[in-house]
Amino acid sequence: MGLIAELKRRLFRWQSDGSAPLRLTQRRIFVLPTRAGLLFFVALVAMLTGAINYNLALGHALVFLLAGLGLVGMVHAFRNLHGMVITPGRCQPVFSGDHALFPLQFSSDRAMPRLALQLQAGADQPTVTTAVAAQGLAEISVPVTTSRRGWLELPRTRLFTTYPLGLFVAWSYLQPAMRCLVYPRPRASPLPPLQSAPRAGEQHGEDGQEDFSGFRARQPADSPRHVAWKASARDGGQRPLLVKLFAGGAQRELQLNWSLTPDTMTVDTRIEIIAGWVMAAEAEDACYGLRLPGREIPPGSGDAHRHRCLEALALYPE
Amino acid sequence: MLGVKHSPFSTNPKQLDPILAAAGGIILGKDREIRQSLACLLAGGHLLIEDLPGVGKTTLAHALANLLGLSFSRIQFTSDLLPADITGVSVYERQSGEFRFLPGPVFAQMVLADEINRATPKTQSALLEAMEERQVTIEGETRPLPQPFFVIATQNPSHQIGTFPLPESQLDRFLMRIELGYPDRGAERALLAAGGQRASADRLTPLIAASDLPRLQAEAAATHAAGPLIDYVQALVEASRRDAAFQHGLSPRAGLALLAAARAWAWLDGRDMVLPDDVQEMLPLVARHRLRSTQGTGMARSEDIAALIRAVSIP
Amino acid sequence: MSIRPTDALERGATPWLFAAALATTLPHFEHQPLWLSALTTVLFAWGAWLWWRDERLPGRWPLALLVAIACGGVLFEFRTLFGRDAGVAMLVVFMAMKLLELRSRRDATVVVMLGYFLLLTHYFYSQSIPTGLWLLAAMTLVTAALVRLHGGAASTPAATLRYAGLLMLQAVPFMLVLFLLFPRVSGPLWGLPQDAHNGRTGLSDQMAPGNIANLALSGEIAFRARFTQPPPARDRLYWRGPVLEMFDGKIWRQQAARPRPPQIEALSPPVAYESTLEPHQQRWLLALDAPGTLPVDLALENTLTATARLPINQRQRFSLTAILDYRFNPDEEQAVLKRNLTLPPEINPRSRALAESWRREESSPERLVQKALTLFSGSGFSYTLQPPVLGENPVDDFLFVTQRGFCEHYSSAFVALMRAAGVPARVVTGYQGGETNPVDGFVVVRQSDAHAWAEVWLAGRGWVRVDPTAAVSPTRVESGIAAAMPDGEPLPALIQVRANWLRTLQFRWEAINNAWNQYVLGYNPQRQREFLSRLGLNDPDWRNMAAALGIICGLMLLAVTGWALYRRPHLDPAARLWQKALRRLARRQVNCAPWETPLALVRRLEDERPDLAPAVMEVADAYLQARYGDQPDQLKILRAAVARLP
Repeated sequence: MGLIAELKRRLFRWQSDGSAPLRLTQRRIFVLPTRAGLLFFVALVAMLTGAINYNLALGHALVFLLAGLGLVGMVHAFRNLHGMVITPGRCQPVFSGDHALFPLQFSSDRAMPRLALQLQAGADQPTVTTAVAAQGLAEISVPVTTSRRGWLELPRTRLFTTYPLGLFVAWSYLQPAMRCLVYPRPRASPLPPLQSAPRAGEQHGEDGQEDFSGFRARQPADSPRHVAWKASARDGGQRPLLVKLFAGGAQRELQLNWSLTPDTMTVDTRIEIIAGWVMAAEAEDACYGLRLPGREIPPGSGDAHRHRCLEALALYPE
Repeated sequence: MLGVKHSPFSTNPKQLDPILAAAGGIILGKDREIRQSLACLLAGGHLLIEDLPGVGKTTLAHALANLLGLSFSRIQFTSDLLPADITGVSVYERQSGEFRFLPGPVFAQMVLADEINRATPKTQSALLEAMEERQVTIEGETRPLPQPFFVIATQNPSHQIGTFPLPESQLDRFLMRIELGYPDRGAERALLAAGGQRASADRLTPLIAASDLPRLQAEAAATHAAGPLIDYVQALVEASRRDAAFQHGLSPRAGLALLAAARAWAWLDGRDMVLPDDVQEMLPLVARHRLRSTQGTGMARSEDIAALIRAVSIP
Repeated sequence: MSIRPTDALERGATPWLFAAALATTLPHFEHQPLWLSALTTVLFAWGAWLWWRDERLPGRWPLALLVAIACGGVLFEFRTLFGRDAGVAMLVVFMAMKLLELRSRRDATVVVMLGYFLLLTHYFYSQSIPTGLWLLAAMTLVTAALVRLHGGAASTPAATLRYAGLLMLQAVPFMLVLFLLFPRVSGPLWGLPQDAHNGRTGLSDQMAPGNIANLALSGEIAFRARFTQPPPARDRLYWRGPVLEMFDGKIWRQQAARPRPPQIEALSPPVAYESTLEPHQQRWLLALDAPGTLPVDLALENTLTATARLPINQRQRFSLTAILDYRFNPDEEQAVLKRNLTLPPEINPRSRALAESWRREESSPERLVQKALTLFSGSGFSYTLQPPVLGENPVDDFLFVTQRGFCEHYSSAFVALMRAAGVPARVVTGYQGGETNPVDGFVVVRQSDAHAWAEVWLAGRGWVRVDPTAAVSPTRVESGIAAAMPDGEPLPALIQVRANWLRTLQFRWEAINNAWNQYVLGYNPQRQREFLSRLGLNDPDWRNMAAALGIICGLMLLAVTGWALYRRPHLDPAARLWQKALRRLARRQVNCAPWETPLALVRRLEDERPDLAPAVMEVADAYLQARYGDQPDQLKILRAAVARLP
C-alpha cells in the first residue's frame, strides 16, 4: 500500500491546482476498465469462441461490433469529462460532525449533456452525483465529514464517470484550493447568568435616550402610559389603540466569557460549551458578547454576529 | 471617460458636456465624480455619495439639480427625524373640517438626503421605499412622486459615532455609490482662493429643461451593448458569486444596474456602443456597496473589486 | 443483501431492461418449446407487474424453486442442460429470472450482458439479412438500456436512444475492420453437439411416393450455381444427387458406395461453374451431370454422385466442371447390372406381366424404353402434386388405376417396368432445372426443383438418362414446375409468382441474399486469404495480421478520440483577428492580460512602446468597432489593420 500511495503521489503531484477555474484536459483524465468492463471482455471472448465453433459469420460480426462498442464507450467516458470547466465556489461554515459541503461549479460548452458525474473526496467519504446540461452549468457540493473545528481543506477529490456504458471509468483528481470553516460542535449546557443590568441603547451613541421607533397595536399588558393617544385618535378613532415603541431599550446582554467555563476541562470541550451558549443565546434572541483569551467580540446579535463568534471559537488555538 | 489621449468612436454630440463643465467650475478637481454622478442620473438610478463631511457632497447635488432644471429639496437626516417628516402629514383643517395633506420634502424631482445614516432605520426605510416605488403611501392613500425623481443620499463613513449604517438590503436601491475624497492640491488652492461655493451653486441656471431628461435617458439606454459585452457583464457577475473575498455575489439586479450604468457612461462619452472599458469603470461604483467583504464586516474593498476584474477575461 | 444507495437500481431504468430482455428473447419463441415460451412470458409479466405496483421482488427461495423447475423442464425436453438448444433455453430462462432480481446496478449489468449473449444465439437459427437487421436494432436497444442505466434519470428516452445509436454508428468501422482482418479460424474448435444442425430440408437417401412432391412444396433455395459461360439450356440441367438402386416394391434405397471409380468419356468440352450449396446434412454435392474434374477433397462415386468427406452442414462453395454430353460406364460390372435388374417378387404382378409382354414383342432395349415412354405420354396419365394414395402394389396401382403422379411415381414405375423387361435401370434423384437470376446471373435451384428420373444401361452406350416425367409433362423439364402444374396445385407462393414486377422484386431480393451469403456469411479463412492477397498481402501470417489490425484499430480509436476532443472554435472572426494581433505583439515582448481592454493596452503602449502604439491603436479601434459596435462590414478594416501591424 505504501508503494502504491507513493506512486499515486508522484503521478498526481502536478495536479494540485491552486487557482481556479480549471479545465479538464486529456493530461489529467485517466481511463481504466471497470469490473463490468472486464466481465464484458470475458463475455466477448466466450462469444467469439462460440462464433468460431459454430462458424457464425454474423456471430463474428456481432462480437466485433461489441468490441468496437466497448472501445467507443471508452472514448466516450473520457469525453464525458474532457473539456469541462470546474470552478470552486464558496463554502458555508458547518458544525463539526456535520458534512462540510464544498460547492463546485461545472460548466460545459459541449452540445451534449454530461451525465452521471460522480465526486468523492477520499475513499471513506460519500459519493455525490451530478449532471451538466448541454452548454450548461451545474453546481454540486462535495460532502466531507468533519471531526475537528477550524479550517478544513478540501481533500483530493476524485471526479469520475462510467457514463455511457459503464465498461470504463474515466477519472480525474481535483484539488482546488478550497477551505471550509468548521464551527465547534455546540455542547448543550445552561446559559451563564445575565451579567449586567439592561442598558439603554449603548450602540446608539452619546445621548443615551430611548429612540422612538414606531407604533404597534396595544396589548392588554401594556401600560396605559405608553399608549400613543394622539396617533390613535386619527381617522376618527377607528384604529385600535397604538403603543409607542422605543428602540434600543429593554434588551438584555450576555457576556459569554471563557473564564465561566470550568478550567478542568480540555480546551476543545470549553470551546464547545461556549459554542453551545452562542447557539442558545441566539435562539433566545439575546444580545451577547464573547470574551476569549486574547479576543473580544462586543455584544450583538444576528447571523453575522453569531458567525463572528463561532468563527472566533473555531479558530481559537488548541 | 476613456483617457485623455485617446477616446475613439465619440461620434455622437456630447449633449451634456456643458453641464459637466458648469458643475466642474463649482466643484473643483472632481470632474470624474461629476461625470459619474451624471451617468447615474442618466441611467435612472439613485446615487449614494459617501465621504467625510465638508468635501462638497451637498454642493454637487445642488449643482446638478440646478443645472438639470430639477426641483430640489434637501432633507437633513437626524436621529429624531420621523418618517412623516419626509413623506408629509395630513393636517386637520378646522375651517373645512377635513384633513389636508401637506407634502413632505420628498415631493421634489431631486431630493438630497443629507447624512442619511444619521436617522433611525425606520425613517431611512421611509425614504428608501419611496425611492424604490417612486410613490408614497400615507395613511392608506398612494401619492405619486414627481417625474423624474432622483435621490442623492450622502452618508458619513459608518465608523463615525452615532450613525445607523444603511442595511445591506437597502443599499441595493442605490444604483451607484461614489466617494468624493479630498480635492487635490491645485483644486484646494483654487477653492480657498475663491471663498465659499454654496452661493455659486445657487446661482447656476438650468442648461437643459427637466422635460428633456427622459429623452436623454432613453437615448442613453439605447446605447448598443453587443453580445460579447453582455457576456462580459455576466462573467463578472458570476465571478463575484464564487469569489471568496465576498460573502455573497452580485444579484441579477446588480448585473442590470452595471449594464445600465455602462450604457450611460458610454453615452456621456458620445459613443453609440458600450466597451469593456465602460464596464470596468462602472463596476466598482455599482458593485462595492452591494458586496460584503468576508474580511471583517464591512462592504467590499476596492482592491477586491480590482482583483475581480483581473480574474475575468474579456470575451 | 444490502445495497449501497448509489448502487441501487433506479426505478426508471427497469423498463429499458425489460425492453432489452424482450427484444433479445422474443425471437427464440419461434422455435423453442411452447412451455418455455409460456414460462418466460409469465415471468416477464410477473416482473413487470411487480415493477408497476412497486412491490418487493421475490426472495431467494421462490427463485431457486423456479430455477429448479425450469432446469427440470429443459432436462426433460432436451435430455441435457448443455448443447445448443438446451443452452439457449437456459439462457432465456436465466434472463427471465434475472428480471425478478433487479435490485442493484450490478443485476442490471448482468441483464445487459445476458442480452448481448442472447443476441449471438439467434444466429444459430438464422443468419439472414432480416435477422441481422433485427438484431442490430435489438443491440441498439440493449445498448440504450446500458446508457440509460448509467446516465440516470437525466437521460431522456429519445436522447438515450440517439446516444446508443451514435455509439453503435461509431463502433461500425471497428466491426468492419475486425471482420475483414481479424485472423479467422475455421471451426469447429471442438466436436459440435448433436443438435448443432437441426431441421434442414433436402433430398434424402431414399425415395418413397410423395417424398419429392413434399419437397416441391418448399420454395427454399437448395443451391446456387454461377457458370463462367452462359448457363446451359434448362432442360439439360440435371443435378445429380443420390442414385437409388435397391427397390422393395415401395421404397427406393441407395446401395452402399463402391470403390471403383466411374469411367466417363467426354463428348463435349467441360463447362465450369461454381456451386454454393445450402447445408443439407448429407455428403452428396448435387453436381451437374456429369461431373468432370473435382477438387481434391471431393470424391466421385461409382454412381457418378459427387460426395464430400463430411456432411455438408454449412453453406459451402465448390468449383466444379460438368460434361454435358458423356458416355458413362459402358463396361459396367456384371454385379451392378444384375442388381439393377432385381425386382421384389410377388409385388406389382400386373406391371411385371405388362413388361414381360413387351419383352416378348421387342428385343431392342431402346425400343422397350420408347414403349414405356409412349405409355406415359398417352392419354390417361397426368402430372400432379397431389397424387392419390397407392396400395400394396404401388406400381400396379399407379400404372393401371390412378395414373396420376409426380416425378417419383413416373421414375419408379418406369424403372420397375424396365427391370421387368430385362433392361438394367435405376432411379436417380437430384434437382432439375433452375432459374437464372437476371440481377446477378446466378442459377438458383430450389427445393421445388427436386426431381427424380431414371437411368438405363444400354450396351455400348453405358448408362443413359431417361426422364419419364418429360414424357408426361415436357414443360416440367423445359420451364420448371410452376409452368408444368395446372392452376390450383398447392405450390408455394414464391415459385408460383407470375406477376412480372413481383418476379423482378423476388430476383432482386434473392440476388441481395446471395451476395450476403457469398460475401458476408461466406467470408471464411479462404476468402480472407483471397481478400488479403488482393490487398497485396500474400500469405500473411497471423502476427502481421494482428499487427496490421492493431495499427488500424489504433488509428480509428485516435480518430474517435480526436472527434471527442474537438471543440468547435466558437470565437467570432473579429476575436480571432484580435488574438492574431496579440500573438504578433507577443513576439515583440508586448503582452496583454486577458482582462486588459484593448484601449487600456493602447494607453499602456503609449507610455511603454510609443513606436508600436499608433499601429496597435488602429487595430484596437477596428476590433472594438467590429466586436462591440453594431456597424456591419468592420471586419475588412480590422483585417487590414492587423495586416499592417509590424
